[in-house]
Amino acid sequence: METPASAKTTSASNAAVAPASTQPAPPTLSPADAWTQLPASAFDAAAARHLLRRVTWSAQPDEVARAVADGLPTTLARLFPAEPVALAKPKLVERLEEDTPDFAKRLRDADPLQKRVLQKEARDRSQQAYQDMSIKWLQFSSAPAHAAQEKWTLFLSDIYVISFEKIKNAGHVFDHQAAIRRHAFGPAPALTKAISRTPAMIRYLDLQDSKRDAPNENFARELFELFVLGEGNYTEKDIKEAARAFTGYRQRLGEFSFVQRQHDPRPKTVFGKTAAFTGDDIIDLAYKQPAAGTWLPHELVRFYLTDDPLPPEYLPALGQWWSAQAFDLRALAHRFFGSQLFFSPSYRGNYIKSPVQFYLALTQDLQLDVAPLARQVLGSLRQMGQTLYNPPNVRGWVGGRQWINSATFGARRQLVQTLFNPINEANLNADEQVEIVAARADGKDRFVVDSEHLKAFAGLTAEQAASRFLDTFLPGTSAPAYRDEVTAFLKDGGSKQLTQRVRNAAIALLQSPEYQLC
Amino acid sequence: MNNSPHFLPTTRREFLRFSGSGIGLLAFSNFAPSFLVQSTLAATPRPEKDRSILVLVQLAGGNDGLNTVIPFEDANYYRLRPTIGIAKDQALRLSDTLGLHPACTAMHELFKGGKLGVIQNVGYPNPNRSHFRSTEIWESGSDSNQILSSGWIGRFLDNTCSGTPVADNDPTAIHLSGEVPQTFLADQAHQTFGLNPNTIGRRENKQNMEFLERLVHQPSADHDEHGNNSFLKQTMMDALVTEKRVQKVLGGYQPASTYPGNPFAQSLKSVAALIAAGLSTRVYFVSLGGFDTHANQANLHQNLMKTLSDGLAAFQKDLEAHKLDDQVTTMTFSEFGRRPMENESKGTDHGTAAPLFVMGSKIKGGLHGTAPDLNLARNQDLTYTTDFRQVYATMLDRWFSCPTDQILGKSYQPLGFI
Repeated sequence: METPASAKTTSASNAAVAPASTQPAPPTLSPADAWTQLPASAFDAAAARHLLRRVTWSAQPDEVARAVADGLPTTLARLFPAEPVALAKPKLVERLEEDTPDFAKRLRDADPLQKRVLQKEARDRSQQAYQDMSIKWLQFSSAPAHAAQEKWTLFLSDIYVISFEKIKNAGHVFDHQAAIRRHAFGPAPALTKAISRTPAMIRYLDLQDSKRDAPNENFARELFELFVLGEGNYTEKDIKEAARAFTGYRQRLGEFSFVQRQHDPRPKTVFGKTAAFTGDDIIDLAYKQPAAGTWLPHELVRFYLTDDPLPPEYLPALGQWWSAQAFDLRALAHRFFGSQLFFSPSYRGNYIKSPVQFYLALTQDLQLDVAPLARQVLGSLRQMGQTLYNPPNVRGWVGGRQWINSATFGARRQLVQTLFNPINEANLNADEQVEIVAARADGKDRFVVDSEHLKAFAGLTAEQAASRFLDTFLPGTSAPAYRDEVTAFLKDGGSKQLTQRVRNAAIALLQSPEYQLC
Repeated sequence: MNNSPHFLPTTRREFLRFSGSGIGLLAFSNFAPSFLVQSTLAATPRPEKDRSILVLVQLAGGNDGLNTVIPFEDANYYRLRPTIGIAKDQALRLSDTLGLHPACTAMHELFKGGKLGVIQNVGYPNPNRSHFRSTEIWESGSDSNQILSSGWIGRFLDNTCSGTPVADNDPTAIHLSGEVPQTFLADQAHQTFGLNPNTIGRRENKQNMEFLERLVHQPSADHDEHGNNSFLKQTMMDALVTEKRVQKVLGGYQPASTYPGNPFAQSLKSVAALIAAGLSTRVYFVSLGGFDTHANQANLHQNLMKTLSDGLAAFQKDLEAHKLDDQVTTMTFSEFGRRPMENESKGTDHGTAAPLFVMGSKIKGGLHGTAPDLNLARNQDLTYTTDFRQVYATMLDRWFSCPTDQILGKSYQPLGFI
C-alpha cells in the first residue's frame, strides 16, 4: 500500500489540541522568540531547578547554587560537553565477550545435546551480565557529573531502540549503548550510521537476515519512521529500495562485518534520486529531507518537555536552524535547553517522571548509593513499568500518564518505603551478600535512610525542615497552605521525636502526587 | 478550600455528606474517586462472595525439598547427606517411605486430616539455577528459554477481570510482600494492592497515610493545577481509599486461632481478615524468605519449616472457624529445590525440582506425583517429574474454572489434587 506523503500529517506538525481546562495556557512566545536564549537575568534558582530536574534526575541544592553562579551558557556547556565520559565495560560483560570466539568454536564441534547445554550456559551468563550492566549503569548515572549525559543517552536509546529480550546478548546491548554514548554529542548522521552497524541493531531489526535477493525491510522502515523522519515522510517504495542498500550488513562474534556477496550493488531510487546507493548514502539522503530537521526535536519535546503537542509553528523554526548546524546534537541540546520556550511557565513542574528518573531522583534526594541488588532494584523498576534495555516495542516507552496506574503507583510508594527501612539481610541470597560486602569495602554502602541521615535535621526548626523538603523534593513553588500542612506535621505529627516526624514527613512527600512530577 | 475535610470518604454516603455541606472535594480535580462513579456503597460485600480464592505462599531463596519431604527409606539420601540428612525416626510419617520435616507437626496434622496435599518433585525442563531468573520463570509461567513480561496471575486477571467495573473498588489481587510480585504483572492495568508485612498496623504507617490524605487535599502550587497533577491525585486518592478500607478491616479483625508473632504468620492473619471482610479479591500473595541455605542449614531450615507450618495451620484453622475454608486454596512455591548432595559447609547449593504444598478443605490431600530418583552421582541434580505449569493448570481449570491455554500458552495435563 502506497500512501502519498502529502495525504498524511507528519507527527512533527501535529495540530494543536485544545488544552484541558486545568492546564496552563500554552506559551505565548512568537515562533521567532521561542528558541532564543533565556535572558541571563531570568536564570534564577527556580529556573536552575527546572533545568536540572528536566535534564538530569533531580535538583540538589549545591548543584542549583553552582548553576546559578555559573550562569546558563556555562552550565549547559558543562552538562552537555563536547566529549562524553565513557562507561567502563562491566567485568561480566567483558568476560562474556572474551569467551565468545572460543565458545563459538565449542558450539560448532558439539553434538546436539552438548549444544543445548552450551546454549543454556551462554544464556545464563548473558542474563547475569545484563543484570550486572544494569546496576553498573544506574550507579554511573546517579553520579551528578554523568546525569545529564546519561539521561541524554537514555533519550537517544529510546529512539534507537533495541531490546535485550529479543537479542539476549548483554555484550551486544552494552556495545550498542556505548555507540550511542560515543556519538551522543556529535552530528546525528554519524550517530545513525554507527547505529546501523551495531550488532544489536543488526539483529534487532533483522539486517542479519537481509539478503541480496531477499532484502528485509524492517531496518529501512524504522530508519525512516522512527530514527530520522517520522511517519508519512517517505513512501513504501522508498523503504523497499532503501532496504536493498543495507543488504550485506552482518555481525560476526559481536563485530560488524560487511558481506559483499550478499550486498545488492545495483542502482536504487530513493526520495526521487537514483544511484548505486550504499547504506550510508541512504542515511545521508534521509537527512536531506525537510522532515529530518524536525523529527528528532519532536522526540526531544516528548521526552523532556511535555506530553502535549507544541503549537505547530514552533518546531519548523528549530528544524531549519538545526539542519543548518549539520544536525549537531550538542548544539541542539544547548539551543533547546537554553531556550525561552523550555523555561516557559507552561512547562514547569508538570512532567511525569519515568521510573528510572523516579528511582535515581530518590537516591539523589536521599543521598543514597544504588544498592547492588539486582533482584530488588531491577525488580522495582520493572514493577514501576520500565525494564532497562527492554522497551515494550520498537517505538520505545510511551511515557507520560502511561507510567501511572494503581499497580505502578503502588510500586513507587513501596520503593519509597523500602528505602526507609533496613535491608533484611537474612533474606538476601548468597550472591547478593557478596555484592553488599564488596560495595561496603568500596565505601558505597548507604543503601537506605537511617538515623544518621535523620540526625542532620535535629538542629532545624519545623519551618526550616519543611522548606528543605519542599524546595529540594518538589517541583515548583509550593502553595502557602501546602507548606503550612507540612510544617504543622513536622511540629507535632503524631510522634514525640522530631527525627520520627521528619522520617514520616519525608516518606509521605516522596509518595505524594507532586513528587512524581518534575 | 479552607474547610476541606482532612480525610477521604470511603463510602458514597460520606462523600455526599461532604458535598452537601459545600465542601468541594473535587475542587482541585477533574476526577471523582473511582468508586463513587459507580453508585455502590463501598462497604457492601459483593453478591458473588462465594468465589474461589487462591493464596500463594512464596518460599524465597530455594527451599530444600529433600529435607522438607524426606525419603527416609532411600539409602542414597543418607549417602548424599551424611551430616544434614534427617533420621527416619525424626521424620513425620506421610507414607511408608516418606516423612515431613520434624518441625512441621502442625502441617502433619493437616495432612492426616486430608487438608494438605504434597505435590512431589515439581520443576521444569532445562532448569535455571539463578534465583532471579528462576523466580521469573515460576512467576511468569514461561519456558526456561522464554522471557515473558507478564505473570501467570496477571494473565488470569486479564482473562477474567477485564472490562468488569470494579464496583466496590476492591483490588483484584493483593500482595503482602516488600515488592510487587512479578506474577501480578499483566498486560492490562488492574487494581492490585500491596501491604508491606513489616509496616502493617504500625502507628507510623497510619500517620503516613493520614498525612498523605491531608496533602492530597491541598492544592500544591499557586497556579492552576496541570492535568497531570489532577490525574496523579486521582490515582492516589483511589489507592488511599482502598488502603483505608483495608486498614479498617485489619484493625477490627477477630481471628479465631492464635497466630504466631512473626511477620509471615501476621501476613496470613491479614489475608484471613480481608477474606472474612468479603473483599472480591481473587488472589493473595504472601512471601517467606531465607531459604538460600548454603551453609549450616540444619538450624536455619528447622526454623523456617516451623514458621511455615505453624503459620499455615493457624491460617487454615482460622478460615475454618469463620466458615471460609471452602472458598480458599493455599499453595506454596519456591524458585528451585537444592542439590541432593550436601556441600562442604553443611549446607546445600542451588538445585532443581522440589515438592510443593497445597492446602484447603476442597482439595484432595495426600501425595501427588512421583518421588524423585536419588540414584545420582556426585553433585548431580534431580530430574523433575511434574511440571509446575501442571499445578497452575489444575488451579486455573479446576479451581478458577478458567481456560488455561491462553494463560499458560499451551495445554498441560492437570493433576488430581482438586
